[in-house]
Amino acid sequence: MSKTAEKFRSISPAEFFYRNKEIAGFSNPARALYQTVRELVENALDATDAHGILPDIQVVIERDPNKPIVYRVSVKDNGIGIPPQYVPDAFGRVLFSSKYVLRQTRGMFGLGAKMVVLYSQITVGEPIEVVTSPINSRRIYAFKLLIDVRENKPIVLYRASWRKESDWHGTYVKVAVEGDWGRSKSKILEYIQRTAIITPYANIYFKDPEGRVRIYRRVTTKIPPPPRETKPHPHGIDLEMLKLMIKSSDASTLQEFLEKEFQGIGKVTAGRFLRSIGLDPSRSLASLTRKDIERLAEALRSYKDFRPPRADHLSPIGSEIIKIGLSAILKPEFVDAVTRKPAVYGGHAFIVEVGIAYGGAIQPSDSPILLRFANKIPLLYDERSDVAWKVVSENIDWGYYGIQFPAPLAVLVHICSTKIPYKGVGKESIADVPVIEQEIENGVRQVARSLKSYLARKKREEEMARRVVTIIKYIPDIARSLSVFTRASEPKIPSEELEARLFEIVKSKVGVAPSIKSPRDVVISVE
Amino acid sequence: MSAPLSTVDIKARHRAAEILRKRFLEVIEAIMRGEEPRLVIPKRTLSNTIFDDERMLLLLGPDKFERSFLDMREARKFMQTVLMASIIFEALINNEYPTIRDLYYRGKHTIRYRDHRGRIREENTWDEQQESDSVLRDVEVYTGLLREDMLILSKEKGKVVGDMRIRSGDDVIDLSKMGHGAYAIEPTPDLIEFIDVNAEFVLVVEKDAVFQQLHRAGFWKKYRAILITSAGQPDRATRRFVRRLNEELGLPVYILTDADPYGWYIYSVFRIGSITLSYESERLATPNAKFIGVSMTDIFGDPETGKKPYLTEAERRNFIIKAKKTDIKRAKELMNYKWFQTPKWKKEIGIFLRKQSKLEIEALTGKGLKFLMDVYLPTKLKTGDFIG
Repeated sequence: MSKTAEKFRSISPAEFFYRNKEIAGFSNPARALYQTVRELVENALDATDAHGILPDIQVVIERDPNKPIVYRVSVKDNGIGIPPQYVPDAFGRVLFSSKYVLRQTRGMFGLGAKMVVLYSQITVGEPIEVVTSPINSRRIYAFKLLIDVRENKPIVLYRASWRKESDWHGTYVKVAVEGDWGRSKSKILEYIQRTAIITPYANIYFKDPEGRVRIYRRVTTKIPPPPRETKPHPHGIDLEMLKLMIKSSDASTLQEFLEKEFQGIGKVTAGRFLRSIGLDPSRSLASLTRKDIERLAEALRSYKDFRPPRADHLSPIGSEIIKIGLSAILKPEFVDAVTRKPAVYGGHAFIVEVGIAYGGAIQPSDSPILLRFANKIPLLYDERSDVAWKVVSENIDWGYYGIQFPAPLAVLVHICSTKIPYKGVGKESIADVPVIEQEIENGVRQVARSLKSYLARKKREEEMARRVVTIIKYIPDIARSLSVFTRASEPKIPSEELEARLFEIVKSKVGVAPSIKSPRDVVISVE
Repeated sequence: MSAPLSTVDIKARHRAAEILRKRFLEVIEAIMRGEEPRLVIPKRTLSNTIFDDERMLLLLGPDKFERSFLDMREARKFMQTVLMASIIFEALINNEYPTIRDLYYRGKHTIRYRDHRGRIREENTWDEQQESDSVLRDVEVYTGLLREDMLILSKEKGKVVGDMRIRSGDDVIDLSKMGHGAYAIEPTPDLIEFIDVNAEFVLVVEKDAVFQQLHRAGFWKKYRAILITSAGQPDRATRRFVRRLNEELGLPVYILTDADPYGWYIYSVFRIGSITLSYESERLATPNAKFIGVSMTDIFGDPETGKKPYLTEAERRNFIIKAKKTDIKRAKELMNYKWFQTPKWKKEIGIFLRKQSKLEIEALTGKGLKFLMDVYLPTKLKTGDFIG
């Protein structure tokens, strides 16, 4: 395995991706257009909410008037912007990254943007336009870039800057790609809509090639706390990563390395651990042989006495925001959500969040509408192979929760982690990791129980309301009939009085909804 | 109502109206006190129908049920019951004689309402006459007033002739001067006043045609009888009229029906009361009524008593009809009724089940009307050959 990896490194990463564009989601024009939108939107969101900024995102797709398969996608955000010196590398050098730290972000190391640039370059050949203004900067910087695929470095075709007139900060990216709007329309619209569900604190403006504008307005100013960087946990390490970490670390001894680069390892633990595998804590990093590194990697993953991975760097959306998002977009009659406690798989902390929405504007369907998210990214493809699908379609007996399909039911599942266990390279579905499956199932059960009790309460109330109407509708007739018996003798009791009395009796003995103030609110005069 | 009402009529009206008013004032008072309005009504079910051995009557048992307005399943019936009662009450004080069909139409109207989901719905106070008839029965048992007491009319079905004078309304009617016709027994037989009578017994004939033949042949004159037909299942007025003849004038009552389970049941209704209307038996049934025939022993004879059959072998072959499955079933049902469990009835039903044969009264007139009038009936009466 290490041999293959080295062979890959012998060609430029840019070239590798260039040759294998399918794996990054650019397999055909339709998918590529979708992927382009997705990568740029996710970068835009990462530049905003991850830094505590309420996002204003503008997405425009235009069709080239002369070349109908060419689309220009532009995304503008109000994020932190990119310092001008980093712009060429951020868009023009694959695997540009300074440090191996982990942070739960939508994209990882900004790889997606570079794939977009590469794909644009292959299909249309126009440079990418980037306009950015870092927060607190007084200037705006503009670039036109291409990637030198062989050398894996950016080619800057145009560079300019000017004084900022407004207080805008953020980034604007425009790229021309070969696409197919007709075939990707439904997925792109779904993507934008689901993004709106998970980020109800964003303003999202979307203009499609047909000129139609969809606006998802911000419905809350609550924003999840930004995720924080964290060091890797030893249980989640692999050999390649360990090698890279050793290479880039400035620690001198093995013990210092463990202490500085990993979470959950203090001085004492580092020493005890290293001695337990027969390595000298004071040994220099440089002196490690390949065998030593392999042994170290193995032991790091299996040693039991490290502190469990920490989750405080994760950024769940929070049940409040999920409820707000589901309510705003799906307009259901019932909504609930839960954020589970952090759990751990293979050295990675993760948090599962589950939302449920029922009724209202949701159209009934034969199975739950599943809204999957990983680190706030909507997952749209490969639904049936996702662990969340397995949970909602196989593990859960919805009948137990009072749901008979077809039913207007949507279930949202969000997993956040520094490492999402995707199934396959497409990153569209999550693998059946038992502990994750269990967490999702527990979460779904929790919100399903809440739905169940809502439905039961609703049924009771409806039954009550039905019962009351059943009785009240007869009041005028009964009052009129009974008053006939008092007509011939004293005291005469008018029908209206009997009506009022009967209504009072129903009110005190059965209970009447406040909306009904008299029997005449139920019975409509036929005359 | 141009003609002035007779005094009996006015008296009956006042009495019924007063009882209705009192019973329903109870409900009104409960409402004014803020109590849940309810009607406590005797149950009109088979399980609450009891046979009074001593008085030989089918009576309504002691079981009652509560029809509460606040009970969702009873609310509609509650409305219907007070609606029906109010219509009857109004008719009584307005000097009207509604039929049960009139009651149905007077009470029927649409209630339009908004349901719990806000949809506009419509519902009729009642849809079928069956529904209004049913609550009329509830009003009868709730108040203890029969529909005749409340001056509700029904179709006249029974007829009577005989040497007898009665007062109906303000007219005196001579039942011996009806020509070929007969006096239709009015739906309010309690308003009839018996003036004088010259008869020794009452003969009730199930079949109208046989009644007419006996009437034209002068049967009632020759044998000093009051001749009545129920024309099939007797209506309430005919039953009440027969009962009054028996009770007030002391005339024995004989009933002539087909020789089959349906004929037996007609007799049973006259004598014991009907199961569906057991609440009226006390006033309608004639426990002394006798079944004169046609009996199974009339057809086949009775070796035990040495009774000879009225029919010859050849006549039997010609007149007897084979019993149908439903006849057999009905006969077996009758065997379960206590009042059919006397030795004579057991014998009667036993022969029927063995022979699986039935016979219509007309078979006897087929032998000649004279035979029925001058041989069969007088012999039966003289020898006391009937079942009580």
